[in-house]
Amino acid sequence: MDMKNSSSNKNINGLGIYVIILGVVAFAFGCADILVWAGFSPGLEIGIMEIAGDDFFRWAWGGLVVLMGGLIMLSGAVNAGDIRQFAKVALGALMVLMIAATDIFARLCENIPAGEEAPEFFNSLGGFIGGFAPPYSPAIILLPFVLVIVYLAMRYDEEN
Amino acid sequence: MSGGYLSEDERWDLVDRISERIVSYGEYKQSLRDVIGELTVVPLMGIPVAVAVLYAFWSIFGSFAGALMTDGFMVKLFDNYWLPWLQSVWPDPDGWLYFLFVGDPAADNCFEAFGMLTSGLFVSLGVVLWAVLIFYLMMTLLEDSGYLPRLAVLVDTLLHKIGLHGYAIVPAILGLGCNVPAVTATRILETKKQRFMMMTLLAIFIPCGAQLGVMLEVIPDSVGWVMLYLIAGFAIFGIILDRIIPGKNPEILIDVPAYHMPSLENVGKKLWMRTRGFLKEAVPFVMLGVLLVNLLYLGGVIQALSNFFEPLFVYWFGVPKETAGPLVAAFLRKDLAIAQLSAIPMTAYQMITSVVLISIYFPCVATFVVMLKEGWKQLLASVAVLFCVVLIYGGLIHAIGILLGVA
Repeated sequence: MDMKNSSSNKNINGLGIYVIILGVVAFAFGCADILVWAGFSPGLEIGIMEIAGDDFFRWAWGGLVVLMGGLIMLSGAVNAGDIRQFAKVALGALMVLMIAATDIFARLCENIPAGEEAPEFFNSLGGFIGGFAPPYSPAIILLPFVLVIVYLAMRYDEEN
Repeated sequence: MSGGYLSEDERWDLVDRISERIVSYGEYKQSLRDVIGELTVVPLMGIPVAVAVLYAFWSIFGSFAGALMTDGFMVKLFDNYWLPWLQSVWPDPDGWLYFLFVGDPAADNCFEAFGMLTSGLFVSLGVVLWAVLIFYLMMTLLEDSGYLPRLAVLVDTLLHKIGLHGYAIVPAILGLGCNVPAVTATRILETKKQRFMMMTLLAIFIPCGAQLGVMLEVIPDSVGWVMLYLIAGFAIFGIILDRIIPGKNPEILIDVPAYHMPSLENVGKKLWMRTRGFLKEAVPFVMLGVLLVNLLYLGGVIQALSNFFEPLFVYWFGVPKETAGPLVAAFLRKDLAIAQLSAIPMTAYQMITSVVLISIYFPCVATFVVMLKEGWKQLLASVAVLFCVVLIYGGLIHAIGILLGVA
């Protein structure tokens, strides 16, 4: 990123640190997803975060994507202002975003219908909103932090 | 100019005049979008991104088609309203017409009733339609955003190892929706050898959206294993076919467009065109398929075939002899055949083996017809390959099960 002034350069440093922290956390969360799925723990719940680890597709495959997303972000963290490096950061962030977005989409799809036992077709408003209550997957926890990168990426071409 | 034609010099002058008017020169500055576009074709970055995109693809497919539409609404609609209503109004539950159209009088769900108006309608409109709709939506978005050509570049090296090139990914992914347009799409491959190989591998190892939708319903926990066996089979038999079939595997040049936001109008048009094709062609096949299978059951044909093939099924493939019926029915509709398997008591590994066998067994009749259009010689050769593959791979899966102690 060919920044135009020194204050922007400070932002680059800040961005690099932010990306390193986000990348390390994403990598750790991805590892945790896979390890819980592999049976190292019967399931993990810390605060509002939960790793059920009960499904290969979600926790092994999805965990691998979060892990790789973290690694790709880390690979772009040094000199994150450079366009190629920032593109790596954006790609890593997009990978974590994909997992978080599909987790939210899955909740949305599960909570629109009323459920097998209920006689009606559609869920009540309370039931629908309740379906989005915690605990959340690690990818959803990372979502707000990843969105910051996505926002910067969207503004990148405009600013440069 | 002589006789209305331009000389070579005059043509170049014209080119210069046109280019002066329409081409502007300036400094090109690479955008972030360009760099991301480049990175996604580099294996080190591109493969993880492809893994993520495929995850998102299947996650959205499962959530929408499985959790929302089929489990959320269609099962309730068909099992709680449609089936009880049909059972109450259709006369003579012991008659053959009842068996053909409504199916088993004791069934409490449309999946296991196996009548033309129960299972036939439920599978086509309650399960497959939604699977096909979301599949084609995702496929169109990948196509129109510019990701699909990048995926083709990325898998080019890999597919060259089995004698194909990167664009073979297009019929392969299309086949996951429906094998019928996928067989037609093999025409984008250059040589006869590549077209034959892709058509054969497609018919054997690529399960269609209908099958995937039903698999998600019947064996949600084992779909991953089934897919693993199919992908491994695709690679192994691809390499073998590449070695034994004469012909060339030329390189290709792919035009990779920049990433862009898909146009809503284009996505809508493509989605409508593809879904309409499914409704017009596949739904009648599903309905008639159920009717024909029921007629074969009524005539005792399937029972006779089950008895005849019992030794092969029980001792070579390691599956219950009752699976012979669904396997015969699979020629008409593979999705229905998988639905029929759910009613047969067997172990989890036997279920995986049976589903893999149904997938690699004869292509469904609609695919068969399209393959015939591509040439009867190729079709016969494909069928010969198919029989060898079913026998070898079916036995191999059984052997793996024995070695793992699960068969």
